[in-house]
Amino acid sequence: MSSQPHSSAARSAALRSFEAQWFAREADPLSPLREQAMQRLLKLGLPTLRDESWHYTSLRALAAQSFVDAPRAPSGTLRPDALLGADARAVTVLMVNGHPILPERLDPSINGIEISSLQELSRTDIALASRLLKPLSEAEEARWRLLNTALFVDGLYLRVRTRVQTPLIILHLGTAERPGTVAYPRVIIEASPGSGATIIEHHVQQGPETPLSNSAVLIALERDAEIEHYRVFTTDQRTTHLDSLEVRQQKGSRCRQFTISLGGGLVRSSLEAHLDEHSARIDCYSLLVGHEERHVDCVNVIKHSAPGTVSRQTARAIASGTSRVIFNSKVVVDAGATQADSQQSFRGLLLSPSAEIDSRPQLEIHTDEVKCSHGATTGRLDPNMLFYMLSRGLDRDTAQSLLVYAFLADVLTDMSVTEARTAIESALISQLPDSQVLQKFR
Amino acid sequence: MLKIADLSARVAGKEILKGINLEVNPGEVHAIMGPNGSGKSTLAQVLAGREDYEITGGAVEFEGRDLLSLPPEERARAGLFLGFQYPVEIPGVNNVYLLKAALNAKRKAAGEPEVDAYEFLGLVKKKMKLMQMSETFLTRGVNEGFSGGEKKRNEVLQMLVLEPKLAILDETDSGLDIDALKVVATGVNSLRSPKHAVVLVTHYQRLLDYIVPDRVHVLSEGRILMSGDRSLALELERRGYDWVRESRVA
Repeated sequence: MSSQPHSSAARSAALRSFEAQWFAREADPLSPLREQAMQRLLKLGLPTLRDESWHYTSLRALAAQSFVDAPRAPSGTLRPDALLGADARAVTVLMVNGHPILPERLDPSINGIEISSLQELSRTDIALASRLLKPLSEAEEARWRLLNTALFVDGLYLRVRTRVQTPLIILHLGTAERPGTVAYPRVIIEASPGSGATIIEHHVQQGPETPLSNSAVLIALERDAEIEHYRVFTTDQRTTHLDSLEVRQQKGSRCRQFTISLGGGLVRSSLEAHLDEHSARIDCYSLLVGHEERHVDCVNVIKHSAPGTVSRQTARAIASGTSRVIFNSKVVVDAGATQADSQQSFRGLLLSPSAEIDSRPQLEIHTDEVKCSHGATTGRLDPNMLFYMLSRGLDRDTAQSLLVYAFLADVLTDMSVTEARTAIESALISQLPDSQVLQKFR
Repeated sequence: MLKIADLSARVAGKEILKGINLEVNPGEVHAIMGPNGSGKSTLAQVLAGREDYEITGGAVEFEGRDLLSLPPEERARAGLFLGFQYPVEIPGVNNVYLLKAALNAKRKAAGEPEVDAYEFLGLVKKKMKLMQMSETFLTRGVNEGFSGGEKKRNEVLQMLVLEPKLAILDETDSGLDIDALKVVATGVNSLRSPKHAVVLVTHYQRLLDYIVPDRVHVLSEGRILMSGDRSLALELERRGYDWVRESRVA
């Protein structure tokens, strides 16, 4: 990480435009926190290839552009392309370019989740809002989160009170009339002791252009809370997503997190999980699909800070065309985290000679008596499997697609929301060769 | 049905098949026997179209077509089936998916409509019963976690569902206990008809007690050294493969 302060002359066009946005913001109860975040970011500058966790993702083109705020509302009618079909029982909350559009009356089936805006929260409980918005780390991967903290206008605050069966969908709609806009979606999910819910964040787009999406999400789980969280990217190749997710977990809590990168031109998704208390457990699944010229960069940092904490990471990546997929994962076991148990499993599958997959699993252990393992492999389709299927008369394309699909099954089969899984499978299959045949085999 | 003329093939730069001649007619069951490393499995794989095996000479005609010019999937659709010595595990692809895809590929090639789902399931269940396989196998990944014997039964099941004109079974008997061997033999025998032919590649005579061959060939060092009727297999059992090599020299 570069600690050189950036003089304003050396600042990139992007950073100068962010600073201009900052000057134009009206004061609100969060201003002191925002000021801190902005000053910190200005000092650090935007990440470059020299920063360890940005080694494979160049933001040069992005840094050379200037950005203004994306519009609060789209110019046309909203016709969001929802992840789940109309018949699904899920409840959807819409966020347009980061601005929550809260329904006047919420479906009673999600009575167990209180939904409000972050502006409202900062007016009613500034202490809580500040605690939840303050970044835990100033690490290089958190810089976009600092920018989000400085510049988000409003966001969504969800407080899960009970065990809620119905999945809640947050539909992030990105929309713009012209290039050079940016949105700062911010979501906070807080789960009360013993509560549970499934929350799906789906990033979609509408209109001729899409803003640069710099989203930041926090999931805070109190004792024994259980959250299943999805973030799904299905936008087109012109979009850029920089999404940072932070998870804070108390005793006995359990988080199942799915990161599904099926779209976008550049998708950088980071996860920073803090297993702060005894026996907190996180299971993260990453399904990273490189297609055509897409650039997919996924960074997980898991911090075991208490005894008996458990983390499982399962990541599967495929890359076709000239796409590039990166999976970086770091597990840190603090001195006090005895009996910590961590597993990292990464498998990559290259489907074209011009595609690239990079993976880097890392372990940093500061105590004895831990159980940590990691494995990372990248290869091509197994010729024996392919020949076996061909010898049964299957078309080459069908056989290859079935094998790719099977390769990703480890992530897909662990999704507990059937509708989400079906929709994700459909979106996935449409990016594989011979998709029509595959649809029939599900 | 199958005419192999002077077939030679190389694997990883090494000449394994050195001029094979063999003719199989509809309705016949042939057994190809031979010691380890004689080229039996290579022959089976070459006929099925394994791409990393290099054909260095000769020709193979199947139903009047030049077999060697066809990719593996077209050979299968033309009615050739290979039962693998080591069936491949494909986690994540259901057995039933593979069976259905295989059957539909064959039907499509024959200009027939896709199989009706209900009819298909009925057919598969009937054949599974014959192979004494539990229906839970259908929804499991192809050969995933199957025991050696279960994998071999699964190969025969696929064969029965596809009803190939020519089935080449590569050491389908190896690693089977006597009960499993009988089940496999029952499956293979159920395919016997004037229209279907079977080539059994085997190391031991034992299988031939249950599937009685019309012709027995002894393959050694990439060539068929001797051919005969069933009694040849019994002779081999008694006298060993060295006898063939010695009598050939003599």
